[in-house]
Amino acid sequence: MKSTPYYWPAWILLGLVGLTSLLFGAGTLELRQAFAVLAGQGTEEARFIVLELRLPRLAIGLVTGLALGVAGALLQTLTRNPLAEPGLLGVSAGSAFAVSLAILAGASTATLTTLVSQAGALAGCGLVILATRIQGVGQDPVRLVLAGATLSALLMSLTSLIMLIDQRAADEIRFWITGSIAGKNWEQLTTTLPTLVISGFIVIAVAKPLASLALGERVARGLGHRPGLVQLGVVIAVALLTGSATALAGPLMFVGLVVPFVARALGGADIRKTLWLCLPLGPAMIIAADTLSRLLVAPSEMPLGVITALLGAPVLLVIIRTRRIPTL
Amino acid sequence: MSTTPARTYWHLQAQQRQFSLLIEKRALIVNLLLAALLVFCSLASLAFGTLTIPLSGLMQTLLGNGSGMHDFVVTELRWPRLLAGGLTGAALALAGCLMQTLARNRLATPGIIGIDNAATAFAVASVVGTGISIAPPAMALTGAAIATALAFGLSGATGTRGYRFIIAGLAIGAISGAITQVMLSSVALDDANAAYPWTVGSLNARTDGSVQALAAGLALGYPLALALKRALVTLQLPEPVTISLGIHPGRVRLAGLVLSILLTGLAVAVAGPIGLVALLAPEMARTLSRPGTVPLTAAALTGAILMVISDLAGRLILAPLEIPVGIVTALAGSPYLLWILLRKSSDINQ
Repeated sequence: MKSTPYYWPAWILLGLVGLTSLLFGAGTLELRQAFAVLAGQGTEEARFIVLELRLPRLAIGLVTGLALGVAGALLQTLTRNPLAEPGLLGVSAGSAFAVSLAILAGASTATLTTLVSQAGALAGCGLVILATRIQGVGQDPVRLVLAGATLSALLMSLTSLIMLIDQRAADEIRFWITGSIAGKNWEQLTTTLPTLVISGFIVIAVAKPLASLALGERVARGLGHRPGLVQLGVVIAVALLTGSATALAGPLMFVGLVVPFVARALGGADIRKTLWLCLPLGPAMIIAADTLSRLLVAPSEMPLGVITALLGAPVLLVIIRTRRIPTL
Repeated sequence: MSTTPARTYWHLQAQQRQFSLLIEKRALIVNLLLAALLVFCSLASLAFGTLTIPLSGLMQTLLGNGSGMHDFVVTELRWPRLLAGGLTGAALALAGCLMQTLARNRLATPGIIGIDNAATAFAVASVVGTGISIAPPAMALTGAAIATALAFGLSGATGTRGYRFIIAGLAIGAISGAITQVMLSSVALDDANAAYPWTVGSLNARTDGSVQALAAGLALGYPLALALKRALVTLQLPEPVTISLGIHPGRVRLAGLVLSILLTGLAVAVAGPIGLVALLAPEMARTLSRPGTVPLTAAALTGAILMVISDLAGRLILAPLEIPVGIVTALAGSPYLLWILLRKSSDINQ
């Protein structure tokens, strides 16, 4: 299923973006020194900057992008809605709110957040699925997204209320809430790995039934799949993936929209091709946005969520502007 | 909302003779009641807070012979704030009512389609002073005008009815919000703190100049909106009918849009983006009024009441902490918006 001509170029793109993110940054490190580190030598300071500061960011960006891209593609196929995106539909806001509650209750962003965040994402996903069951909402892609955006806004207001109540919570949440992959360490990454592996298996298991589900529930049933089970699997996978990404990088909007959109444009409507293409494209988008966020206002730094919004909102406009929004 | 047959309300609205004045009974009663409610809420807003002033004390102060402490709290702290809140609410509600009517879409309010956010981005730009040092009201107006032009310009192919127009506005709002963040993160902390209240919607960051500009704008915009009212009512009819009544729909829309931009921009310059007042107030006013009318006065009064109550609630609920009024209105308004969107037979076109 990798038979799209763009598959390997997409990985090469990711490689280039990753290399750029290691070589460029806000610090005063010279390009030559950064190269030297990559070649296995270089000064101690250079090694620290590249290997201790930039490499973890690269890894977190890789995982976050992977998770968000795949979650977006899955959610869009499940709701048959090209605009369904975890960030827009309130799934990310759900996990952000859950994490804020946990922090208010005494947890710290360094511990426990992955599980809490995934639970919040699951609740958000459940609400989305409930909304699609309402007659008229499920059939109208745009209305579902508006409802999701409203839910997002509501949850974000509640989160800012929590930040008002508790100063300590506010300090913990403030930087994370705008989306950032800075200042994370390897431990936070490893806490999300088990769930990522689980969701990886789920995705492999549901990819094929999901492709036949795209032809309609009856066809899928006729082909021997069980739509209810597949949908449940997809919801869990989306919740696990979005929850992990949000715990790592905060609620990032538009990544799950842009990445599958580009993947579909390159590889066609088959969900399996889309998923394969999302693997390199998701990380490429996050890492490129992260590199930009370091360079644009250097030596200070911009929230990653801002860059993804600036890249993603125009894509949303483009999709909306086409006369007919094709249902998936 | 226009479930009433079009002919009924046109007949009622018609002027009999050249100089006859048609006062509608229900509108008059509703507006008087709303005005009384506004006065009541205002008194409550003046009386309650960190320092509770008893009614007798408040009366003394209002009559000009209260104690020094009460005088200071009421006239120096609470009255300017009350004025700013009431004016902002009225302006936003009026702008929302106008825009809903001319776009024939009940979700098309300045806040939802991103005009608030764009105005905020421009106001923040002038505060953090990224090389542009124009007064916030002027900048907010520019931002509102640009965003409106974008939203309506982009709606060319799909029209302003239906949900797509709203989503396009959502994207504009997201871009503006991101630009605001970029500016806040690229300046010194003090400047960012100075501009922060704008980004959440609060009455704490108001300046006297911007409140005066808003008052002037409202004094100018409200009569103009009333003058437009008859033409606006006909916009709810099918376009050929409107034209056959001798009204130029394009011109009416443009005039309404300009007024709406003016009011939104000036209100945002005072208090930042105040979530959903522009949606809630006209909706409530419409429920109170006779179907098929464009209840401009009732909407403005309701908007002012909502703002005053929300600000009071924001000051009292977590006292001594203060919840920004924008967060209060967003919390109160979003469930209602969700309800509109998720009902089975949701018709947002009017």
